[in-house]
Amino acid sequence: MPRIQDIGAFSAVRESGLAKLMPAIPRLTVGMGTCGRGNGAEEVYHALNEAVQRSGLDVLLAGVGCFGSCFQEPLVSVRLPGCPLVVLHRVQANDAGRILEAISTGAMPPDLIYCKIEEWDHITGFVKYGQGYPEIAPWNQIPFFKGQKKIVLRNCGLINPSDIEEYIAVGGYQALYKVLIDGRTDSVIEQIKASRLRGRGGAGFLTGNKWDFMAKAKSDAKYIICNADEGDPGAYMNRNEIEGDPHSLLEGMIIGGYVMGATEGIVYVRAEYPLAVRRLNRAIEQAREYGLLGTNILDRGFNFNIELVQGAGAFVCGEETALIASLEGFAGRPHPRPPFPAQKGLWGKPTNINNVETWCNIAPIITRGPAWFAETGSVKSPGTKVFSLVGKIQNTGLVEMPLGTPLKSFIYDIGEGAVAGRRVKAVQTGGPSGGCIPVEMLDTPVDYESLAQLGSIMGSGGMVVLDEDNCMVDVARYFVEFTHSESCGKCVPCRVGLNKALSILNSITKGNGSSEHLVLLDELGRMVRECSLCGLGQSAPNPVLTTIRHFREEYEDHIVAHRCRAGVCQELALSPCENSCPLRMNIPRFLELYQEGRLEDAFESVILDNPLPASTGRVCQHPCDNRCRRQSFDEVVNMREVHRFLADSIYQSDLFEPMLERIKARKLAPTGRKVAVAGSGPTGLTAAFYLAMLGHDVTIFEERSEAGGMLRFAIPEYRLPKSVLRRELDLIEGVGVKMVFNTRVGFDLPLNELASAFDAVFLSIGTWKESWLYLPGTELKNVHPALPFLESVARHDQVSMGARVAVIGGGNAAIDSARTVLRMGAEATILYRRERKDMPAIDEEIQAAEEEGVRFVFLAAPHRILGDADGNVKAIEIVKTRLGEYDKSGRRRPIPTDEVQRYECDSVILAVGETFDVDFCRASGLALKEEGTIVVDRFTLETSRPGFYAGGDVITGASNMSNAMSGGKQAARKMDERLMGDSLSGEQRWESLFPDFEYSRQAPGEPSLSRRHTAHSLPAQARAHSQDEVVDGLSSQEALEECRRCLRCDLRATASTH
Amino acid sequence: MSNPLPNKTISVRIDGELVTAHEGQTILEAARANGKQIPTLCYLKGLSAVGACRVCVVELAGTDRLLPACTTPIQDGMSIKTTSAKLTLYRRMAVELLLVERNHICSSCVSNSHCELQSMAQSLGITHVRYSYNNPRLQVDMSHPRFVLDHNRCILCTRCVRVCAEVEGANVWEVASRGIYSRIVSDLKDDWGHAHNCTGCGKCVQACPTGALAEKGQSVHEMVKQGDAVTRLATQRAGQASGAH
Ligand code: SF4
Ligand code: SF4
Ligand code: FES
Repeated sequence: MPRIQDIGAFSAVRESGLAKLMPAIPRLTVGMGTCGRGNGAEEVYHALNEAVQRSGLDVLLAGVGCFGSCFQEPLVSVRLPGCPLVVLHRVQANDAGRILEAISTGAMPPDLIYCKIEEWDHITGFVKYGQGYPEIAPWNQIPFFKGQKKIVLRNCGLINPSDIEEYIAVGGYQALYKVLIDGRTDSVIEQIKASRLRGRGGAGFLTGNKWDFMAKAKSDAKYIICNADEGDPGAYMNRNEIEGDPHSLLEGMIIGGYVMGATEGIVYVRAEYPLAVRRLNRAIEQAREYGLLGTNILDRGFNFNIELVQGAGAFVCGEETALIASLEGFAGRPHPRPPFPAQKGLWGKPTNINNVETWCNIAPIITRGPAWFAETGSVKSPGTKVFSLVGKIQNTGLVEMPLGTPLKSFIYDIGEGAVAGRRVKAVQTGGPSGGCIPVEMLDTPVDYESLAQLGSIMGSGGMVVLDEDNCMVDVARYFVEFTHSESCGKCVPCRVGLNKALSILNSITKGNGSSEHLVLLDELGRMVRECSLCGLGQSAPNPVLTTIRHFREEYEDHIVAHRCRAGVCQELALSPCENSCPLRMNIPRFLELYQEGRLEDAFESVILDNPLPASTGRVCQHPCDNRCRRQSFDEVVNMREVHRFLADSIYQSDLFEPMLERIKARKLAPTGRKVAVAGSGPTGLTAAFYLAMLGHDVTIFEERSEAGGMLRFAIPEYRLPKSVLRRELDLIEGVGVKMVFNTRVGFDLPLNELASAFDAVFLSIGTWKESWLYLPGTELKNVHPALPFLESVARHDQVSMGARVAVIGGGNAAIDSARTVLRMGAEATILYRRERKDMPAIDEEIQAAEEEGVRFVFLAAPHRILGDADGNVKAIEIVKTRLGEYDKSGRRRPIPTDEVQRYECDSVILAVGETFDVDFCRASGLALKEEGTIVVDRFTLETSRPGFYAGGDVITGASNMSNAMSGGKQAARKMDERLMGDSLSGEQRWESLFPDFEYSRQAPGEPSLSRRHTAHSLPAQARAHSQDEVVDGLSSQEALEECRRCLRCDLRATASTH
Repeated sequence: MSNPLPNKTISVRIDGELVTAHEGQTILEAARANGKQIPTLCYLKGLSAVGACRVCVVELAGTDRLLPACTTPIQDGMSIKTTSAKLTLYRRMAVELLLVERNHICSSCVSNSHCELQSMAQSLGITHVRYSYNNPRLQVDMSHPRFVLDHNRCILCTRCVRVCAEVEGANVWEVASRGIYSRIVSDLKDDWGHAHNCTGCGKCVQACPTGALAEKGQSVHEMVKQGDAVTRLATQRAGQASGAH
């Protein structure tokens, strides 16, 4: 090919490129970036190639770079002459035949269709592929691309990066041509300045100013460098930019070289990027051939060369002074600045360093002008930035977004939210030395200043989404481990400071942390940040400082309670299930004991961990399932049903009495201390059980005439038969808990009186007061709050409700009410303002309600209740909602629309949440939180009044059974420590409650291959009108099989210590 | 690096006091020329400054930025604070970190009571350290006929590296590895006794602030270093060299 020397030659090349980009024959392209190859793009390419050969069709097949949506790789684009470009996703080699067929028929394989592109703005040029395929969504309607603006990635995934002619076809090298023809270097610098482009390597200096500085420096030699030493784990934008569009980088550099008067350009790229290196080398070669690089560029007498240098992959070489040291052949260690590289850089000569992305922005700014550039992004940070969006999110890949876009658009719009069943907790931006931004702050616009304000950085654009399965202490530890191992070692703060920070973080994650550690860590972080020599040390503490700032509670959990809620810190958990169970039941132990045929031992293990095993076995939300390892194999182990089975087996047999004796025998000697427990719900019963086991004299005061609280009065008979509850109460009373009924603490029995008669008091009165919804019509007859309604039914009181009942709400109380209504022979309709997947109720229960015939109306917010002349309910009006932005809970906020619907009904049940009567607490000097819950110490559960403890719903707000019980368990332990003196002996006293079972510590050679066993529901028809228990437990054979499915994750720790 | 012929005079404030300095001077040089003390460890007058130990940090008044005094050029109108609670804390932390990094057991050290690290710790009032000791297992290189290199006592200030390269011109020393594993090495990581270009001049021993480099045959607290002799030599050389240019 002749060197391009005039506009005529330029146009000829352009024509020839366009003929390849939009040929008169079908064109097939495969995304062949490193990400595509990792997903099998090469196989796809070969298969297509073969299929083309075989078919004898005239097809142009080419490889292109990454289009950004890495989670959809391998991508194949098909373009038939005159038609839009159709992008196919997740293509496999064996799809080749079908694709070839599609080429001849024009009908695309429906399962492979991703989107279409009818026209494309290459910024430096515009391509119209053609119209058609109305049934295929245009690319910018796909959530992942909506809102993206491709300036840097303008050509990626569309042109063949190995063919300079395709780059020229979309307007490439026109900007260079223009600059060289005009020959006015200062006006180019003015343009860059006017665009206010900021360095995309992280620090965000104004590129124009940097260029100006360099242009003015006088020297016989000057260098410009492209920093492509991308070393952040999880970040790969520079790699893909080079792989997908190397000429865009070269063009930027040649322009820069010309206007800054540089004699040579160097691209410093990681040796770990072989494909990028190859493509770039080829691009340099081609640019030389075409007269765009080397001597006498475009015949304008400008000489400039670009050399590629491969770095050995030291993270610190991203620091410009270290990069220069490395280029000079020294170890990559930074130098103090000043002198700045623009004064004294490579070989002591003025040097300008810019990041890949900065260079890639140059040609667009020249072509379209600074005003166009500044239209995008925010005032202080114009333009776009490429981010690599990875982590716990649906859609991952490279996204190019206008700067200033709120963080939540990345997470919820582009990324489409958390992975199923989880919640996003934080986003870590800026690579290993960035900070963690909590989900509460996702409104933050992503620009240099806003991120810095939160203690994070833009960095090179890494964005890692973290959810509740990520431990923030471990996240900090992980990143410090990385930066610490990448520290060059020159300055003390970074070399030793990070080393000590790491060892402190290691201790905390192993459960050996102290509160002093937290102070030291914070102080170390600040010192390293402020005193280190270079950017690595100055930013490395960010993950630590931001997690301490925004997630202090997680640190405290690790230090004080040796608890890692995320279940990541292995030393702090026995197994994933144990860690997820609010009561921390030793699940693998009871599974193993039963499997060994030891029913009594298994039950003893269960009851000492969880004093209400039959009730929880029926109504617990079973969070233990969430992280069970068996799910990676088939389905989670049904632990809840096994302990239900164990409890039922004992309760319904003559083993009950001997078992009770056995448990009583474990009681510690009487202490002579008296403890009062207010409320006999699950929390109070749990606390009372443990306090009695610890040898204290325990009395429960209950407002009603029977024990059980919500278990008795709010959970319907068909879910938890009263006979089952009776057995559990027998056991708790059996170990010595006394009960006084019809006594309401705070009213019949003032707190001061309790204080004088008892050594400690535990408040667990539950949340019985229905929060009242402000709604016109609630004063009508037959409008019932859910809990009193359920309670009246449980008491067999007369409740008038008519034939059609509307239930408002989405929690367990709503479902329980609706199912109860059915059982009373009426129709039930649940009105809920969000969607089904957002309902807080247990999924199985929602499903059961559906099967039994409860009607659901979603996206319906109550508007008003209409009554007749007699004051009876006759209908309810609802406003349809649509889902708007995501709120703090990670769910979309319902927004009312104009549409009002009317449902005829005879009564309304409000199940919109519960509170409790707080007045007496206030009167007795207990501090309350704004939302009306009692203030307690997070770890001891002691209230503001010494000797008074509280747990369950009164401190957390309405929650669920096992969470509530865990408060009772925790409080009992802490009260005992307080009552019996120093905490060391308290620890021993507590531990001594639990027997040391001998059981197999061998990993199961072959865990059972059977699938999960679930409890058996009666057929929906039969159960919908019956008050009898509707779900039968497992049979003994099924329970045994279920135990055998456990993978014994608890053995890991023991195994690894040897 | 210091400039032998003072340039233009400028006025700056150090701890509130208005003083004159010369363009091209570092903050440290200007401060010392005006009788202000700023602690230093890796700095040795006459050698190039590297900014490694960070005990010389000072505050740029009116901002919360800290600057290393030994490498930062002073500029007209600058106002510098050399002491503050924060500076004392950070300097102390830097020294504490050095004390836990390796095995500094003064009672058995040749340089006991003549050690810059030790006296720095004393002057900063360090009575104990708050971080756990690393207790690394490190080697002692006894292969040189006259000198010893004890890695246990090295603080990686690189004064030896610089004096050997900049004054003696022998380039025996370098730093190998990175991060916490950084080590002073002679030649291409060979034993010091086998280092071909070592002239045996002993300048590194004199420049070393601790007992890491010492003469053989010295026992506990006998090793007294002559850092100022190195400075004298270096400044003379620099004078000659700049004359020659
Ligand atoms: S496999 Fe067993 S030990 Fe592991 S999480 Fe599941 S139930 Fe627990
Ligand atoms: S041997 Fe001495 S002079 Fe050399 S780096 Fe270590 S402490 Fe500094
Ligand atoms: S004396 Fe300035 S950093 Fe060491």
